[in-house]
Order: sequence, then C-alpha cells, then structure tokens
Amino acid sequence: MAIVETRALSKIYGSGALATRALHGLNLRVEPGTFVAVMGPSGCGKSTLLQLLGGLDRPSSGDVLIEGQALAGLSDDALTTLRRRRIGFIFQSYNLLPVLSALENAALPLALDGVRPAEAQARAAEWLSRVGLGDRLSHLPGELSGGQQQRVAVARALVTEPALILADEPTGNLDSHAAEAITQLLRQVSDTWGRSVLMVTHDPRIAAYADRIIFLKDGTIVEETQLSSSPSAALSATADVMEVL
Amino acid sequence: MSVRNALLGLLAQRPRHGYDLHSAFEALAGGREIWELKPAQVYTTLGRLEEGGLITPERVAQDGGPEKRIYAITPVGQQELAQWLQTPVEGQHQRNEFFLKLMLSVATSVVDPYLVLRAQRAGLYRELHGLTRRRSATNPAQALATMLLLERAAMHVEADLRWLEMLEPRLDEIRRQPLPAPELRPRGRPPRSE
Repeated sequence: MAIVETRALSKIYGSGALATRALHGLNLRVEPGTFVAVMGPSGCGKSTLLQLLGGLDRPSSGDVLIEGQALAGLSDDALTTLRRRRIGFIFQSYNLLPVLSALENAALPLALDGVRPAEAQARAAEWLSRVGLGDRLSHLPGELSGGQQQRVAVARALVTEPALILADEPTGNLDSHAAEAITQLLRQVSDTWGRSVLMVTHDPRIAAYADRIIFLKDGTIVEETQLSSSPSAALSATADVMEVL
Repeated sequence: MSVRNALLGLLAQRPRHGYDLHSAFEALAGGREIWELKPAQVYTTLGRLEEGGLITPERVAQDGGPEKRIYAITPVGQQELAQWLQTPVEGQHQRNEFFLKLMLSVATSVVDPYLVLRAQRAGLYRELHGLTRRRSATNPAQALATMLLLERAAMHVEADLRWLEMLEPRLDEIRRQPLPAPELRPRGRPPRSE
C-alpha cells in the first residue's frame, strides 16, 4: 500500500475571473520508505501540494489517501488526529516555539495528543539523541544554530512515529554545510527509520539525495526522474559500504 | 600525455614495475571505473619513457613469479615532471556533446528538443545522486582527497543542472534563431585591391 496517494488532485483558489488553478489533476504515489524531492518554478503548485497532502487544506476536487485512508471523508477532528499521528512537518523557518526547550518542542505533538508528560519527554529525548542533539535537551531554540534548530524540528516531526514526513524547503535558511547535513538526516529518516519523505526544494544538490524527483509546472507533474532503482537497491548499497568498513 | 606524466610521477615517488604502476595509477585516479588503463598502454609508455631517457630500468625482481623490470626516474625525467606539474590544465568547458545534441534536435525535428533536455537532466540527476551517495560513504578523516574529488565532480554536475534550468525557458527563443553556421567566406583568391 502506498503511504500517500493522490487521485486527480485539483485546487482552485478564488472564483470566477479571479480563479487561480494551483493544482490540476495531479496523480502521485509515494511508496513506504522512499524519499521524494519536489521541484519546480515558484508558483508551480509545490506548496499547495504539501498543504493538501498534509490535510492542512481541502482540495477543490480529487482526493488524497494517507495509508489508504481517503481524507475527503474525514471530519475536521478526525483529519486533525490523523495529521498529528501519521504526518510530520518540517518547515523552512523551523517553526519552533521560542519559549520552550528543545525537549519541550520535540515533545509537543505527543503532549497535544494527550500522551503523559513523562512518556512524551522520554520519547522526545530519544529522538533528539538520534538526531544528534542528546546534549542539547534543555537549550532554547535561540541558543541553538540554525542547523540544530532544524534537527529539533526533525525530532519533533518523528516523535509520533508518523508514516510520512513533509518538508517544505527544509534547507532554505541554512548555509550549504548545514543544508547537506540536514538532508543527510532526511536520507536517514528514509533509509534507517523507514519513513517516507516528501521534500520541496529549489536546490539541485539537495534534490539529488532523494530516490525520485518530481518536477511540477502549472499545477501538474511534467517530469519524473527515478534516481535509485528502489529502496532495496539503497539497502544493498548500504550493505556494500558495511562490508567495506 | 597525462597518463605518461602521471606514470613519471609515480616513479618519482619510488621505483616500480609495470604492474605496480598500472594499479597505482588507477587507484590514484579514483578507481578503475573512473579511469581504466590498459596494461599494454603502461608497457608501451614505459618503452617510450625509457627511449627518451626519462626513466631507466633499475633492476629485475623475481619473487617466485615471472621477472619484473623495475624502473626508476632519471634527473631528466624529474625535470620534465616538474615542468608538467607547473603547467595549468585546460578544461574543455566549451566543448560539449549535449550542446551538439540539443542544437541538432532543434535543427532536425528527429526528437523534440525538450525530450533531449529532459533526458540529459535525468542523467545528470542520477549521476549527482550516485556521487552524493559515494561522498556520504567516504570518511574524510581517511580519504579526504577522494572525498574532494567526488565533491569536484558533484560541483560540475550541479553547474550543468543549473545551466539546464537557465536554458529551458529560453529554448523556444533558441528555436526561432538561426542555427550557428559557418561564416560565409568568399572562395578562391581574394579580389585584388587597386
């Protein structure tokens, strides 16, 4: 089963003469554990696509399925719950709460979902150490570098054990070194932790980390490039490296 | 020329026999899949270097197997190597096979130029993906030079990708313009001036 699937997804903003077609009959499938980059000129519909996949907005027609569940039939409450549990978001500007520590930020989705504070913090601490911030738990976002703040955001996105990570220009605010480090972490999210990642980016170097690149133009997919044959090919590549080491 | 001089350089490092030079060259260049050398090429090159007085057979080693002639660099060879090392390498940045394909697709309508462009882009992205994977698997604490060679390749592929991004929106305009053609030169003897 695909982690995310869209069927003839369309979105029109406004109406009448002022209507803007942001997405037009878009069909997409993302298999478990794959890392997909979305590229295209500004205004091509990339952000709209992420909004609809994340259930942050409703399509004008067509549907989004997350792990086989059609979003169209869900009430707003059910949609919010699904979004909180099955989808993790990463933004260009990190979107951390400045008054909360790294640990509290990473634990937030669990707290909102009613998980007991002790358990939420234990799970958040676990993810923060997996992303390399085990020694920064009590730091405030303002005390961390941009790359570290984005790592907190990655931990926050993973803390609920979601199936899908949606990342909107996650390296847009970072210098090239931190940008590559964050993208390597997203690679790990797919390779090691088996999540599907869908990442919007402008940067060819960042996009090249993905397994597949889709190019959007005028609200539809105009081109699609498979970079690695399959997730299992990636696994055997990892095995090769392990053998060498 | 570069293989000949690189072999000279490896002999400046220490005396070696042909097989040793062959594997040392391939390892230095980044692996057999990057720059494969035919053993025959090594031996003919060694012959020419010896004729030119740039290297000299030092001794014959025999460790159980067949005899191996071990070569050493001569002072003349050292001089030639020093000169080569200080001569800048000219990259053929303007000579580009993809450009030929694109212009001929524009000129002939055998294949849509946009398809030619997309195929190239897909190939470049796959190449960059492979380079990225290999660079991630390279430990800079042990193989910094290899990592930087991979980085160089990635930077060039990235530049090509950015160039395609720049070219794509201009492709229709390129199609409207005449194909680069030879300048019209009057044939035969130039007219006599008065």
